[in-house]
Amino acid sequence: MVDFARVQKELQECNRDFEVSGIKVIPTSEANLAHLLGTIPGPSATPYEGGTFNIDITLPHGYPFEPPKMQFATKVWHPNISSQSGAICLDILKDQWSPALTLKTALLSVQALLSAPQPDDPQDAVVAQQYLRDYQTFVSTARYWTESFAMVSSLGVEEKVQKLVEMGFPEASVRNALESVGGDENLALEKLCSC
Amino acid sequence: MSKRVLCKFFAHGACLKGEHCEFSHDWKAPPNNICTFYQKGLCAYGSRCRYDHVKVARLQSSSPSSSADISFPVECLSGIAGYGPGIASGVTAEHSASSGPLCHPIRPAWGEKTGRHDLLDDDDNDGYFSTVDPADRPICSFAAAGDCPRGENCPHIHGDPCPTCGKQCLHPFRPQEREEHMRTCERRKKQLEALRHSQDIECSVCLERVLSKPTTAERKFGILSECDHPFCISCIRNWRGSSPTSGLDVNSALRACPICRKLSYFVIPSVIWYFSKEEKQDIVDSYKEKLRSIDCKHFDFGNGSCPFGTSCFYKSVIIFTSVLNLCYSKFSLGHGGGVVEKFDLKIMFSGQLLTFNSCKIRKPRAVGLDNVDWGFKNHAYRDGRLEEVVIRHLGAEDGNTVIAKDIRLSDFLSNLQIR
Repeated sequence: MVDFARVQKELQECNRDFEVSGIKVIPTSEANLAHLLGTIPGPSATPYEGGTFNIDITLPHGYPFEPPKMQFATKVWHPNISSQSGAICLDILKDQWSPALTLKTALLSVQALLSAPQPDDPQDAVVAQQYLRDYQTFVSTARYWTESFAMVSSLGVEEKVQKLVEMGFPEASVRNALESVGGDENLALEKLCSC
Repeated sequence: MSKRVLCKFFAHGACLKGEHCEFSHDWKAPPNNICTFYQKGLCAYGSRCRYDHVKVARLQSSSPSSSADISFPVECLSGIAGYGPGIASGVTAEHSASSGPLCHPIRPAWGEKTGRHDLLDDDDNDGYFSTVDPADRPICSFAAAGDCPRGENCPHIHGDPCPTCGKQCLHPFRPQEREEHMRTCERRKKQLEALRHSQDIECSVCLERVLSKPTTAERKFGILSECDHPFCISCIRNWRGSSPTSGLDVNSALRACPICRKLSYFVIPSVIWYFSKEEKQDIVDSYKEKLRSIDCKHFDFGNGSCPFGTSCFYKSVIIFTSVLNLCYSKFSLGHGGGVVEKFDLKIMFSGQLLTFNSCKIRKPRAVGLDNVDWGFKNHAYRDGRLEEVVIRHLGAEDGNTVIAKDIRLSDFLSNLQIR
């Protein structure tokens, strides 16, 4: 059974110093504390700077004695993060987990992973190869992905609407779609396409 | 007056009455640890009793909130006869029922009421106790509990103040009792202090205060042998007990401290947390001591094998059925079977050669070598320690060493096959 008392405490603790860490964890629904959404800012002096990355967190049955399952919901170009699924290759989320770690410390570790890629132990072989062989291209691709997927919120709503309308969607449904996904341009696009 | 005494339940972290409790919930209040059974003459726990075996003149705890409060008005307003007989008779009944060390020739404070007034009237109360040995005179229980309203006029001895609890409870003429009280008082104070400090300590896994957990079983710390990070026993055991199949590494994760990742091989349960190396050592030692008296269930007297091998804390006693090979390098014999120093024992046991180096045989008093049926009742540990060898008849019950006649150890050894 997930220790929800602990999860509650962790959420409070984490959101208290949001100002300092920039890390936020919120439950996806009020009813289910086992499914959460974490947000980390891209570390400065990296291609991920300025981006805001969403991480999907699922707490397993045995939490905190089993590591939380985390994966990127935002697309990231990084040797240790799958560019397809967002799966994270990080030891503390696997065999080096410790119950003294919290969601916040785990997210901090993920943030540290962004600034210190480990191409020798890759999750995404394509990215890792690019990182090792052509670092410049890697940096610009990572930067491009950050700008296009992790920085959508920096655009104003009107700009987003404008952008999507230019793609040929009716303005009313664009506004609806944007509202329903909380302002995420890419998710809105997906929603519009699937309609 | 009971409000001043620390609530026992509160001290253990579990008073259900909360604010409505008639006892004090202030840690500064002195604990009441006078054994009521001892006052009645017999405490089954004897020296092991957790309460103080101090003689107080009166059955103080018979009803601390009612009788003590009433007794004062009676004493002071001695003119009111209405109270007198009822209480006095109740108390005499109580006292006649409680035979034993308390039944001194002196009447208790209650029954003595009328007598005392007679004496006061006669202006002759100095001579009252003069015939009694001062060591037999009880000390004033009110003073011992904190405050005697009669002050200078009290007919009982007022004890010397205890340096630890500050109460006047040290009998001036009973040095043994004084020492015992001071010792227990100090120990108790230390323990209470430790308990108080332990209250605030949080488990790093469940993020709750360990001593505020709902059940007694949960209100225990799990101390790791190699580091000083606090956890509650259930959390740390839960973590260490996680199945390795969940992908976690046993040595670098499960057995390690969740915080500092220092590898610890065992967890010690404790109701209080420690604040110094010595305190930790005390906790560890007493825990090991306790386990050493319990037979290891894996080892099963040599019939099984313990996965913890030599680091097992439980008692692993082998009862040998046969001694095939006994090697001794140096040994010196006392006369008539004394202590053998440096003694190596090799024993074939269940097809396995067990070697015990530098063992001691303490006063082997077993006997009857014409009978081949001899075995060792050994306190032989797997790590080669052989604490005590009692040679006993195999047919005898455990612990019942059959002694036929005293023999010399050398005779015994020479009859065994020695290589």
